[in-house]
Amino acid sequence: MKLLLVLPTAFLIASCEPGLTPPPEVQPGFGGTIYFENGTWPPPDSLLNLWLFASQLYPLDSAKVFTGLFSNPPLIFLYPATDKNLPFFVDSVSYAFNLPPGSYKYVGILQRYANEFSVRSLRVVGVYGTASDPPLPIPVIVSESQFISGIDIKVNFHKPPPQPF
Amino acid sequence: MSRFLTYVLLTLVSASGLLAQTQGGTILGRVIDAETGQAVIGANVVIHGTFIGSSTNVRGEYRLVRVPPGSCAIEVSMVGYDRLTVENVVVSAGQQRTLEIKLQPAPVQTGGVVVTASRREQSLQEVPVSIATVTAKVIADRNNVTLDDALRYVPGVNMMADQVNIRGSTGYSRGVGSRVLVLLDGLPYFTGDTGEINWETIPVYDIDRIEVVKGAGSALYGSSALGGVINVITKEIPSSPQLRFRFFSGLYDKARYSDWEWSSKARFNSGAMASYSNRSGSLGYLFSVSRTVDDSYRQNDAYHRWAFYSKLRYDLSAYRSLTIAVNYLDRTHGNFFWWKSLREATRPADSQLNGKVTSRRGSVGFSYKEFMSDKFYYTVKGIYFGNFWRDDSSGRVNNVSASHLFNVDLQATYNYSASNILTFGAAANYDRVNANLFGTHPGVGAAIYAQDELGIFPQTKLTAGVRFDWQKVSILPSTSQLNPKLGLVYTPDKETSIRASFGSGFRYPAIGELYIESSTNVSQVAILPNIDLQVEKSISYEVGASRSFGELVFLDVALFRNEFKNLIEPSVEIKTYRPYPSSPTEISGPVIQFENVTRARIEGMESNLKIEWWRTHLSTGIGYTYTWPKDLTENTILKFRPRHLFYASAFSTFGHLRASADFRFVSRIERIDENLIRLAPIVDGDQRVPIKVLDLRASYDLLGLGLPLRVGFHVNNVTDYQYVELVGNLAPGRTFVLSLDGSF
Repeated sequence: MKLLLVLPTAFLIASCEPGLTPPPEVQPGFGGTIYFENGTWPPPDSLLNLWLFASQLYPLDSAKVFTGLFSNPPLIFLYPATDKNLPFFVDSVSYAFNLPPGSYKYVGILQRYANEFSVRSLRVVGVYGTASDPPLPIPVIVSESQFISGIDIKVNFHKPPPQPF
Repeated sequence: MSRFLTYVLLTLVSASGLLAQTQGGTILGRVIDAETGQAVIGANVVIHGTFIGSSTNVRGEYRLVRVPPGSCAIEVSMVGYDRLTVENVVVSAGQQRTLEIKLQPAPVQTGGVVVTASRREQSLQEVPVSIATVTAKVIADRNNVTLDDALRYVPGVNMMADQVNIRGSTGYSRGVGSRVLVLLDGLPYFTGDTGEINWETIPVYDIDRIEVVKGAGSALYGSSALGGVINVITKEIPSSPQLRFRFFSGLYDKARYSDWEWSSKARFNSGAMASYSNRSGSLGYLFSVSRTVDDSYRQNDAYHRWAFYSKLRYDLSAYRSLTIAVNYLDRTHGNFFWWKSLREATRPADSQLNGKVTSRRGSVGFSYKEFMSDKFYYTVKGIYFGNFWRDDSSGRVNNVSASHLFNVDLQATYNYSASNILTFGAAANYDRVNANLFGTHPGVGAAIYAQDELGIFPQTKLTAGVRFDWQKVSILPSTSQLNPKLGLVYTPDKETSIRASFGSGFRYPAIGELYIESSTNVSQVAILPNIDLQVEKSISYEVGASRSFGELVFLDVALFRNEFKNLIEPSVEIKTYRPYPSSPTEISGPVIQFENVTRARIEGMESNLKIEWWRTHLSTGIGYTYTWPKDLTENTILKFRPRHLFYASAFSTFGHLRASADFRFVSRIERIDENLIRLAPIVDGDQRVPIKVLDLRASYDLLGLGLPLRVGFHVNNVTDYQYVELVGNLAPGRTFVLSLDGSF
């Protein structure tokens, strides 16, 4: 007979938890870790800049790169900033990239290896993509109040992915 | 096709001598509870070997007319009571005989009669597989508005929103290609385009009972019965006029968190249902109409629904009967596919904000049954299911689909002897789909089946069956399947039953799964066809035992193992594809495509314990199902399957007051499709918790005041627990419902 009292009480207590709760407001964006393949770093004189880029445009060509970077609002974003770089000669670096909500169809690592400021001095050295060879870019879709984790990117300077321009 | 149906019906009617009337006697009386003397409502009273039958009304009264003169046996059955056969009831032509029948209460599980396990009436104790029943009374007590609601508390059954999953058979497919076969009065009831179950069109208010058979059942029922079979049996037309109605009005409680408040208005969920049935000579008829309006607790999720159901039965003679059923539903529903984010869980993603789905669905079915002798009868059944829907966004029509599905089934049952019953038959189906999402495609299939139930020893019954199916869809090559079944039941005494069974199942890919193609859907993911899909298959093994301890305790335990091959699941991946067939270039991007993704093994156990505490005053039930759903391809747990299901219920009656409670626990889904969440994208789609829901309700019978009414008050999800059954879809929080039921 005690069971008749114990069980309903247990069920009531069990379901008294709130369950799902709304998370605190977050800045939209995505983050993860960039892994650099050991022994593939290029010499320092060819490492003028190293950025993480997120492009709403894909496929890209030379014209779209500058349009995307300098349009208002921009369609291509660089991390950490145009005048800053990802750290050089490290095994890995974690990042948190805040940017406006949108569908970023092409996310990867961009190296500037020559002094002239044109697409001829840029190359993509890593891409957030499928495990296939060559990798296909995976879009990162950022919604309002959403920060996506786990966007990990592998970089092998000796074996860059197909170049978009 | 309509001409063909008319021709078939007319041929049946004329061949049976529609105008021929049989002069006979009348047997009438009451069915009462042997212990309390109270009327037993809804009991089935049938003359053995004939089609003469009746169900008892609210006063427990029955009336059997045109009974052939001579001696007959009357069979009386009702869930919760021992089945009773009254032998040697003698009646002569023109005579009216009164017979009071006393039914002995029994533990709920043992007393019932089911029809689904072997395509014929048999006692639950004789069934070699696990089977659960849900009665009309329980459905009414819970105020279930659609059938999927009624299934949420069946042990071993887990609902993922409107997608049914029996013992882990089904993952995430948004209902497309159901692996559980739903039958309406024994006939397949799913849509022709996507092969999904349309719960709303099933006339819940006119259901007599639901039978849930767990495990593969294709040896009797063909495609889709991989995980189990759910047979919805509608009410028999009573012998006297009956008007029933139900009004209910529910109020969603205020959102638990201010972030989830999207409307300042109170949100209601209300409905009205009415049903009138009567008999006039040989003709029985039932008309039912319902209207439900749900404001919903979520934005753009409201629906308005009209439903109509009618059943006509003409007793051509004592041995022949024709039943025609018509069913129609008209619905407009908001297109809430998934939430914007967990932070805005009651708002849909922006792309779904202005979308709505308009649908018109209906069926026309017939059933002709004839007893050739008291040992042999056959049934011819057919059903047409039409499904028409369209979705639009801000007034712009996106997708339109029309599908027509015809099923015909001829079944014969021969009671060779008391210990040898042979059932055999043939079935055919024709399907035609015309949709911008799926294209225009026909499908056609045929099947033959046979089953023998043989008493090999006095207390042991062996069931063996096999079914051969052939199917061809559009221009694809035809395929065929052979599905066997074997069952053994040993009943050493009246209280104990030990069972073992083996069965196989299969499912043809739905036309929608083969041909769906869309580059602009609710998400930013393209959907591609896959005409190389293979038939998915299953094999079920089960051993189980049930025992009554005295008359107050009933225990059933089962161990099961289901093997699945070629499971079809929507796969989400980055692929290179042509955005439209004539496109000169290929693009890469996220793509949904139905694929044969995996092999799986699901093992587990299920136990059900029912206890009656103060006889009729309180009955409790506990059901626990453990499953280990293993993905053999990836050597890990299958996606979207819970490991534990625990359901508990209590029903009590004190005089005119009835109260009940249900508790439901579903363990947290351990593995989901990360690609789906990321690429669809479903923001916070990985957010999930165990399900722990408690419902309470009470109702009071006003018969004591001379009114045939019952008023009820229900509180669903009493503790306002927040959870998801389906990724990105917050389930309803606390809801208060007032109901009024009447029967005249």
